[in-house]
Amino acid sequence: MSATPKLTVSYAPFWHNGSRISKKSCNIFMASLLAVVPGVYQYGVPALGVVALSVGSAMMWEIIMNILTRRPISIGDGNAAVIGMIFAMLLPATAPWWIVVIGTCIAIVIGKHIYGGIGGNPFNPVMLAIAILMLSWGKILDFNAALASYAFNFNAVYPLTLMKSFGASAVGGISLKDLLMGRQIGGIGATCGIGLIAGGIYLMLRGYIRWEIALSFLAGVGVTALCFNKVNPVYAGPGIHLLTGYTLVGAFYLITEDSSSPVNFIPMMIYGAGAGILTVLIRNIGAHVDGVVFAILIANLINPLVDKIRPKTIGEVITHA
Amino acid sequence: MIKRSFFGCMTPKLSYAVVDESYAEPVPVSPKKKIILFFSPTGGDSPQPAFKVGDTVSAGQKLCITDPAVPYMLSSMSGKITDITSMTGIFGKKIISATIAIDDPSQQSVDESFKSIHQAPGLGNAMEFLKCLPGYPGFGVFADKNHPVQTIAVLGMDNDLVSATNQYVVKNNIASVKTGIGVLRQITGVHNVVLIVPPQLVQVAGSSGATLKSVDMAYPSAHPVLIERYLLAQRDKPQNQTTVKSVAFFTAEAVAAIGAAYNTGRIPFEKIITFLSKDGRKRLVSAPVGTPLQDILDAMSETLGDGDRLIVGGPMTGFSVYSADYPVLPDMDTLILQESKTIPEQPDTPCINCGECIRVCPVKVPINMLVRYLEAGQFEVARDQFALFACIECGFCAYVCESRIPILQHIKLAKHTLERL
Ligand code: SF4
Ligand code: SF4
Repeated sequence: MSATPKLTVSYAPFWHNGSRISKKSCNIFMASLLAVVPGVYQYGVPALGVVALSVGSAMMWEIIMNILTRRPISIGDGNAAVIGMIFAMLLPATAPWWIVVIGTCIAIVIGKHIYGGIGGNPFNPVMLAIAILMLSWGKILDFNAALASYAFNFNAVYPLTLMKSFGASAVGGISLKDLLMGRQIGGIGATCGIGLIAGGIYLMLRGYIRWEIALSFLAGVGVTALCFNKVNPVYAGPGIHLLTGYTLVGAFYLITEDSSSPVNFIPMMIYGAGAGILTVLIRNIGAHVDGVVFAILIANLINPLVDKIRPKTIGEVITHA
Repeated sequence: MIKRSFFGCMTPKLSYAVVDESYAEPVPVSPKKKIILFFSPTGGDSPQPAFKVGDTVSAGQKLCITDPAVPYMLSSMSGKITDITSMTGIFGKKIISATIAIDDPSQQSVDESFKSIHQAPGLGNAMEFLKCLPGYPGFGVFADKNHPVQTIAVLGMDNDLVSATNQYVVKNNIASVKTGIGVLRQITGVHNVVLIVPPQLVQVAGSSGATLKSVDMAYPSAHPVLIERYLLAQRDKPQNQTTVKSVAFFTAEAVAAIGAAYNTGRIPFEKIITFLSKDGRKRLVSAPVGTPLQDILDAMSETLGDGDRLIVGGPMTGFSVYSADYPVLPDMDTLILQESKTIPEQPDTPCINCGECIRVCPVKVPINMLVRYLEAGQFEVARDQFALFACIECGFCAYVCESRIPILQHIKLAKHTLERL
């Protein structure tokens, strides 16, 4: 052989199972379409506009932050697009353009990049954005007012508002099947129960979200709602709580966000169930119509603490220096 | 390369290689012009070789260096020393390399000093002649009086993926393993010998005369640290804690080589290597210690291209080399040639806290936290709070990491840095 070939020299392991962040983002994005497409179908072109603007502006903020912080352009990993998509899922179809742009700005800039970018954020960026918007421009996120101009062939009152103001009897007429099929008003991607569940099951099976968190969250909501309902039937039963508001989108797309959730088994259970219980407590007793947003933010807050409960490392040498 | 399974919610599994009928006899490869011997001194003060350029050596002759741990190598062929260089290996490890231009195969002269004593096996002469047999038998542990050896574990299974070397030895050469176990019992006085085998070799291994222990085929259950833990947990806790008992590990190949050496008086040099070529084909090769890797590639009709990776040791824990002018080492069970286009790319992303690593770590290291401190260079915190030293360096976490962080390399670097302090 004439010239000696230049070999690649690097560290072990030399194999990799092929997973990467962009694949995960791509899968979450695709799964969310299962819920977003029915939403767009129901609300028409304005909904499509919100989704497109949200995804687009989220990616734009990501690039701007990459340039400002002088780091490599990272929209390739798809995380910004996913944040934009999930943010859009929570908005009413009539959300004005500036709300969308401000919301994604909060999510990407304050929710993600201030903490050092992907993997560093202690709070779910989308939750942070929605919470700030709810506190600042509550009216726009009030689904009854926002969607008043639509004529639906079903009861067009946000079920959670009904429940809050008039008790369980007011939502008694809503069949769970209707809720599953998306015959309720709400966020663009938050109403079609069947689409959300299908996407969630897909993501859990593929391992792109941690099933422990999603299921314990749903269990937390269901069990707490059932307890309330049994003690005093004025509170709605678990079915209504599970299928209305942000519960399903929360279980599969919000609370499972990687960076702000625990990774060990017992902490995942505590974290998920805790957020579920809080959700129903806020809905039934607290001041807000939907408890998911604040429940998840509070769960994010305790995440670093609960994740300290970890299995004992085998062979760990504890030295007291 | 084993890919992530479709159903990612289940704990990922990696399986060890299984040696079956598809493995042909090892292809014999002989060095063409030269052999290279690597001495890896452990002692601090720059050890010196006790030989020089121009010396002639015969096959089986001892070449000594001034180092307490492995003070010699045996030349596997006769010839003339043409070059002595010192080099720096991974993590600053010192290596003295001696190149020997070999004599014509028909005119090999053989050193007879071992033959004269082989009928009286003893720990002394084993230490004197057999320390660098294929598989590097670890006689050193028997010298440590504070940690009396209570069990000898013979590894009939390889620690890394791909490799089938030791399984092959158990399957096809159980007679030599048996002889070797007999010799080991005799020279060390330790009668408790456990042969570690994969489940499908239990039957074959039955005739070895050792206690059998079959391990799971899921990586890394054949890791010596995990086996040691299992073996020590089997025994009752010693009454007095003053002397800590230990386990001595020998690979099946080394044991078979010990058996063969005392049986015939000829020290075996042929190392069995599992070779994984670019097209994913696995073949066994048998080559004398010191054979340049290029000779093996030539014999396998493989060509090296720019950007390819030549990996010594398995895909999880091995290391890659700079050139094919690198010798077969006594413990080189695997050789992998990876084509440049199949090398996984390495992006530069931080930990996203996906938790995949936590699911696979055999000793439950909190890797997602550990890696953050390691990337920031805070090695002391990593050691004190995140169980850095509990890691057994299996590499599974980096294999599944979604951010593709070189976790294992970070861990090794941190351990190395802390140990030097
Ligand atoms: S290399 Fe260490 S930390 Fe990583 S999986 Fe193996 S034992 Fe755990
Ligand atoms: S697998 Fe990698 S990215 Fe995921 S938690 Fe572990 S270190 Fe972080």
